[in-house]
Amino acid sequence: MESAIQPRCLECALRPDRVFCDLPTNALEAFDSVKSTIVCPRNTVLFREGQPARGVFVLCEGRAKLSVCSESGKRLTLHIAVPGEVLGLSAALSGTVYEVTAELLDNAQVASVKRKDLLAFLREHREACLRVVDLLSQDLHIAYDRVRSVGLGRSRRSRALPS
Amino acid sequence: MRSDRIFCDLPTVALQSFEAIKYATAYPKGAVLFVEGQAPRGIFVLCKGRVKLSICATDGKTLILKIAEPGEVLGLSATVSGKPYELTAETIDPCQVNFVKREDFLRFLKDNSEACFKVAEQLSEKYNSACHEVRSLGLSHSASEKLAKLLLEWSSKNGEAAKQEPRLKLALTHEEIAQMIGTSRETVTRLFADLKKRQIVQSKGSTLVIRNKVALKTMATNG
Repeated sequence: MESAIQPRCLECALRPDRVFCDLPTNALEAFDSVKSTIVCPRNTVLFREGQPARGVFVLCEGRAKLSVCSESGKRLTLHIAVPGEVLGLSAALSGTVYEVTAELLDNAQVASVKRKDLLAFLREHREACLRVVDLLSQDLHIAYDRVRSVGLGRSRRSRALPS
Repeated sequence: MRSDRIFCDLPTVALQSFEAIKYATAYPKGAVLFVEGQAPRGIFVLCKGRVKLSICATDGKTLILKIAEPGEVLGLSATVSGKPYELTAETIDPCQVNFVKREDFLRFLKDNSEACFKVAEQLSEKYNSACHEVRSLGLSHSASEKLAKLLLEWSSKNGEAAKQEPRLKLALTHEEIAQMIGTSRETVTRLFADLKKRQIVQSKGSTLVIRNKVALKTMATNG
């Protein structure tokens, strides 16, 4: 990661390219006030599958691997998240446990928001809620694609993530 | 039944708006509500009956993802995103369904923040289910492990979870169960015969009784 930490969403040059980030100004100002921006090294585990969801993590820079694990410890990658994605969203919204483990593949800048602050923010800003619905739909598409590839793929190769 | 269902338990004002845009329809068993790959026309709120949700490979092999129950909103993520339906939805009972056209639904969400929240909750549940499927299909060692997991999941519904010998109604054929766990009909038939022989399960008509939950749980973790 080459750039310095970008503390304010309003000043982020990458905003227009990202579904969640490109919110109206008043919503972004409110989001800036509830988030905590952190820089994490590669291999940091943001959250683990099965942990109670305490909040979400907006990936500002860097990538993260989302995976699921069997009882025997065997791991399967669901998706490689890229900047702009909001990790842990469905678990935080439903108040359950994280369905996946999120581990950073690069040094990354991450904006974390506590669950109760996120829920209050979404209730206050309808446009943000609509974006979240959009994001969740995209997450679901990705998950169904993965179900298709592991459930209907015949060879080991077909279980690999598409490049 | 409104209060038991995430999407249906909306404030009165929102429900009145919803009434104005929905089309209530009855479908017989075996009706196809939408097909995987079709452009999304809208959502289908399942009021009564059950629907089989499946995906298909190019060689025709089918995987049943889940059996949708009343209260579920079908075609939701496709309708929201505008991408094609990811699944095929086919009724397995006579069903009552409320259909809402895509443009009406998107407008409804823009105007009703509580409905938007409920939709987010439903999508979250579906995502959770899909992750569960990925884990089950991708990480289970064997067909017997996957079948055991499926039977345990089914037997935990409708208040049966706490019982010593939970019962479940087998609504699917062996072929359809095979399509749920990614194996062949012959394997499912053989596995059921084995489970009955070992007295882990017992058939009573279309009802399956789990006689030995501990043994089934062991199968679900060890295969």
